Amino acid sequence: MKRKKIVCLLLSGLLTMGLVSGCGSSSSDEGGDAKNETKTEDTKKDDAAKEEASGDKITLRMAWWGSQTRHDATNKVIEMYEEQNPNVDIEAEFYDFDSYFTKLDTLVAAEDPWDIIQMGGNFPKYENSIEYLDSYIEDGTIDVSDTTDAFLKTTQNNNGDQVGISVGTNTYGIAYDPAMFEEAGVPEPTDDWTWDEWKDACLKITEELGVYGSSKMDNFIAGVTQRVSQAEKDANFFNMEGTGLAWDDPEPIADYFAMIQELTEAGAYPDAGAIKEIKDIENDYLVTGDAAMTWVASNQINSIVNAAGREIKVAPVPRMEKDGAYGMIVQSSQMLCVSKTSEYKQEAAKFINYFVNDIEANKVLNGERGVPIMTEVRETVKAQADDSSKMIYDFVDKIGNFPVENSNVISPEPKTEIEDYDKLLIEKVQYGEMTPEEAADDLLEFAKGKF
Amino acid sequence: MFLPASFTLGESMKDGNDMEKQRNFKKFLYSNNTAGYVFSLPFIVGFLGFTLIPILVSMYYSVTDYKLGQEANFIGLQNYLDLFADERFMNSMKVTVIYVVISVPVKLAFALLVAYFLTKQRRGVTFYRSLYYVPSLIGGSVAVALVWKTIFSRRGLANAILAGLGLDKISWLGDPKTAMGILIAMSAWQFGSSMIIFAAGLKEIPTTYYEAADIDGANKFQRFVKITLPCLSPIILYNLVMQTISAFMSFTQAFVITQGGPNDSTNFYALYVYNHAFKWSNMGYASAMSWIMLIIISALTLIIFKTSKFWVFSESDS
Repeated sequence: MKRKKIVCLLLSGLLTMGLVSGCGSSSSDEGGDAKNETKTEDTKKDDAAKEEASGDKITLRMAWWGSQTRHDATNKVIEMYEEQNPNVDIEAEFYDFDSYFTKLDTLVAAEDPWDIIQMGGNFPKYENSIEYLDSYIEDGTIDVSDTTDAFLKTTQNNNGDQVGISVGTNTYGIAYDPAMFEEAGVPEPTDDWTWDEWKDACLKITEELGVYGSSKMDNFIAGVTQRVSQAEKDANFFNMEGTGLAWDDPEPIADYFAMIQELTEAGAYPDAGAIKEIKDIENDYLVTGDAAMTWVASNQINSIVNAAGREIKVAPVPRMEKDGAYGMIVQSSQMLCVSKTSEYKQEAAKFINYFVNDIEANKVLNGERGVPIMTEVRETVKAQADDSSKMIYDFVDKIGNFPVENSNVISPEPKTEIEDYDKLLIEKVQYGEMTPEEAADDLLEFAKGKF
Repeated sequence: MFLPASFTLGESMKDGNDMEKQRNFKKFLYSNNTAGYVFSLPFIVGFLGFTLIPILVSMYYSVTDYKLGQEANFIGLQNYLDLFADERFMNSMKVTVIYVVISVPVKLAFALLVAYFLTKQRRGVTFYRSLYYVPSLIGGSVAVALVWKTIFSRRGLANAILAGLGLDKISWLGDPKTAMGILIAMSAWQFGSSMIIFAAGLKEIPTTYYEAADIDGANKFQRFVKITLPCLSPIILYNLVMQTISAFMSFTQAFVITQGGPNDSTNFYALYVYNHAFKWSNMGYASAMSWIMLIIISALTLIIFKTSKFWVFSESDS
């Protein structure tokens, strides 16, 4: 009896301990101890095993967002790296865009983000958790001899600190189906087409073919940030310091709201319900043949073309005036950063160096994240490009050759909330609950209130 | 078992005082209270770590401007004041109340109806009962919500049926009214757990009541209203309270199917809290919202209990 009781006591005690240690994050000390223990075990047992275990196996955590193509390619590259560096074990996690940042937010709050973080233009919000890479570039861990200062600058903050290394550059455009344009008797877009032409094309296509003229647009870029830079050359919606707005004229924003409303009413632009049905770029209405155009980031062109299985072309974003400003530059689509709390910053930087510089790795990655910034890598990837990938390089080159403008591509911290509010306002205008003018005023007021 | 016992015996014989101590310790160790506490320790730790402490922390955050990854500054009741000036908050409150007021009665009525038929002595009744319970088992899952979303998509099953009947397609998820309707229908479809409880309650009603009513010439409807409903009322109360609470907290359907849209028409309270907390990092604001939710649900539950004495029948009273 007694023994039974003691056993019960022990068991419940153990359970409790398990529960307690289960909640706590596994601190580095614990992990280290456990490893040392296994090491001594191994030493006794077997010499060969000792060789491996004594190499201090380190674990790097890495995460990214993206499509299936990206997950497959990145996992492959991680495997290749682990093969070459048997002491490094990389734990990969991947998400869609929204979940990625939700997860990152919670990890940042717990001060335990991944060692290697994929990051976009919204880095200011996370800058406190990011290790600047300048010293790793100086000591040669990350080799940047094959790229230019201009490319490095795409992933620097306002003080010139190297926040991360760009793993590809991109820009935005309008992907379209030339066959549908021809069938509807609409001329194909030109490099200097205007929003009026875009709108007319949408309406005409819907009238002739009964499909949406345009699928989902990025209404915050097209309707707010880029639009402001188009309305006035070198103007920006967010100021360069990321501390507030640099714009207060509601008119161009209101015009965009009005245009979307008109198209929705005519059935040329999907309503709020139809928009929510688009899960990812591979299921876009342009791909399924339900729309003739869609908003696209240049590195997504490949996915769209492959998913559509028919000819898709890409045109620049329309302008407000034929000879007006374009309002958009070639930017870093995403970068890899090292977290400040990482135990193995040096190793993380080494992996980033491999990721951006290694030719074999980039043959696998195939520029899916954007046009590579390293010259030799870029040439290699270009050489193996199929037609749709060639289109990406040509397109990014074309936009890169537009006259230089002073566009801000860095998003300040409250950008997500302002963007979501913009989405809501679009719906309010679509359902006639607000006039475009009211919505534009409301957006500016809301955005100002967030700083 | 024998050896250790004799060992302790020998030890204690050496020193009486020591024996006394040991006995006291054993008394403590083997007392019912100690065993009780030890066995409930896992729960107590879980309750403190995952429930009580987070609740207290959220109470603190609700009076700060805490954003994820930043310092928390005390700002008093500012969050609460801001909330009542927030149109989206008011709207989310409104749509949540609409959802609760419609979905809970519909679900309970449906559950009672099915339970009523499934308590009849027929062949395969248990099988059907399990079958109807299945949707509730998988109810909260994302997978079901995705299926539901696909059914009502532009080219989904619902529109295919409409087209088959020669009717026009409907943008189910694009119209604020139908979007809400879809969510309510999905909730009503998950009537299983209430149904099981109703079924158990129906079996408890003594058949003698029905026999007596039969002799007096009561018809089926009269029997249902005069016997079944009063006898079942304590169980209706239980189901009503539980379903109201869970309806107030519903999140998955709106998050997966409509994402709060269109035009915020399904922006449920829990979804709005989630967006503020995890999407826009406004933890302080979201905490304040959660506290208001707690107060609302508590108050409502209290009201339901207070009114229960007017409609819940208990045998001891009669």
